[in-house]
Amino acid sequence: MLGDSSKAQEVFYTTLREAANRAAQGELPKERFWLFRDARWRCLEASEADLQPEALKLDEHDVAPHAASQIEQLDPSQLAVWVSGAPDPQRTALALFYLDEFDYNEILDLAELKLSELSRYLIQGRGQLQAWLDAKHPQQGTA
Amino acid sequence: MRRLPLLRRQRALLTCAPISHDRSTDRSMRAAVARADNSEEFVSQQNFDRAVAEIVRLIPIPPETAEWFSEKSLAVGSKWTWRKMARNPAVLAISIAVVVITGVSVFQLLSRLNDFPGSATARKLLAVAASTRPVMLDPISTEAGTLSDLFFMKHGLEHYDVPAEFADSRTIGCRVFEDEESRRIAQIWLAEKRLQLFLFPAERNPKTGVVLGFPGWRYVHQEGWVGAVTERSGVCFMAAVRGNEKDLEPYLSNATGK
Repeated sequence: MLGDSSKAQEVFYTTLREAANRAAQGELPKERFWLFRDARWRCLEASEADLQPEALKLDEHDVAPHAASQIEQLDPSQLAVWVSGAPDPQRTALALFYLDEFDYNEILDLAELKLSELSRYLIQGRGQLQAWLDAKHPQQGTA
Repeated sequence: MRRLPLLRRQRALLTCAPISHDRSTDRSMRAAVARADNSEEFVSQQNFDRAVAEIVRLIPIPPETAEWFSEKSLAVGSKWTWRKMARNPAVLAISIAVVVITGVSVFQLLSRLNDFPGSATARKLLAVAASTRPVMLDPISTEAGTLSDLFFMKHGLEHYDVPAEFADSRTIGCRVFEDEESRRIAQIWLAEKRLQLFLFPAERNPKTGVVLGFPGWRYVHQEGWVGAVTERSGVCFMAAVRGNEKDLEPYLSNATGK
């Protein structure tokens, strides 16, 4: 969500502190994903203070059969930065989906999205990531 | 690329298909995945997603943060405990209702167990005893046992006999009155411990007219008063006093000793 581990850690501890305070006062919300929702808003707030990327229309390519081998060449931190550069709520959708910890219903609940919106953001995300991969690690016949 | 012949919602579901096959999904997702499982487009998407998820897992997490998640699921459902369940408002309300219903049922059962033919009348007479003042009775100072003749001669009441247990007690007054069901009741006030004695017709079977008798002494209670009731020859006798059963026990135990 942030593409910066120190900021992510700060948000993590702030969220935990908030949870601990609420628990001490017996005011923990009953909704299951409160903690994740809270962390998401803190991430968005934290990233608002940063320099904002220019709103560009990114290229989109169809997912290629050889995409897996292109992805394997990626540095994980580069991918984190790429995802954190996406506008929200697409950023939230991609982060939650590729975290592979939530099913689609939980993502819809957490990110407050409709199924059609989540689907659109994922399709766009895959297409944009494929375009970025094609530019970064061109395979024969793709560049 | 070949478009899948799927409904719009199913297409949308397919784009959100779980990356891990072991992740549980709902029925509509399972149906969409089953329908598209071998399509080239879906296989490419799954391979792409799996590869991205693999890289995401490798994104470095600071060790201080990582230790929070060691061998723990991110989204753990709340644990079921007896304490939590007991605090659930619905469970609490049902429990209270069950306790109240059980309490009332037990109370009614115990009341029924203590019931005997004439117990309802006896309770009403305990209320009469509580509201009676000595001036309301005709003054008479004699032994209670001798009043049987008075009741028979003056009021025509047969078998209105004071039992031997109380026959020797001194009286300070007596009266005969009718209750709301026009039954004739004899009331005697004793000098001792402000005891009051009542004689009233025993209950009868409404069809056969047979007296509904019961053996020995039975206790009834009403608003701080206690009565010991027995039935003889179709007439019930009740000794009433403000207090509890212990206040009447000496008289009744004396009687059994005689």
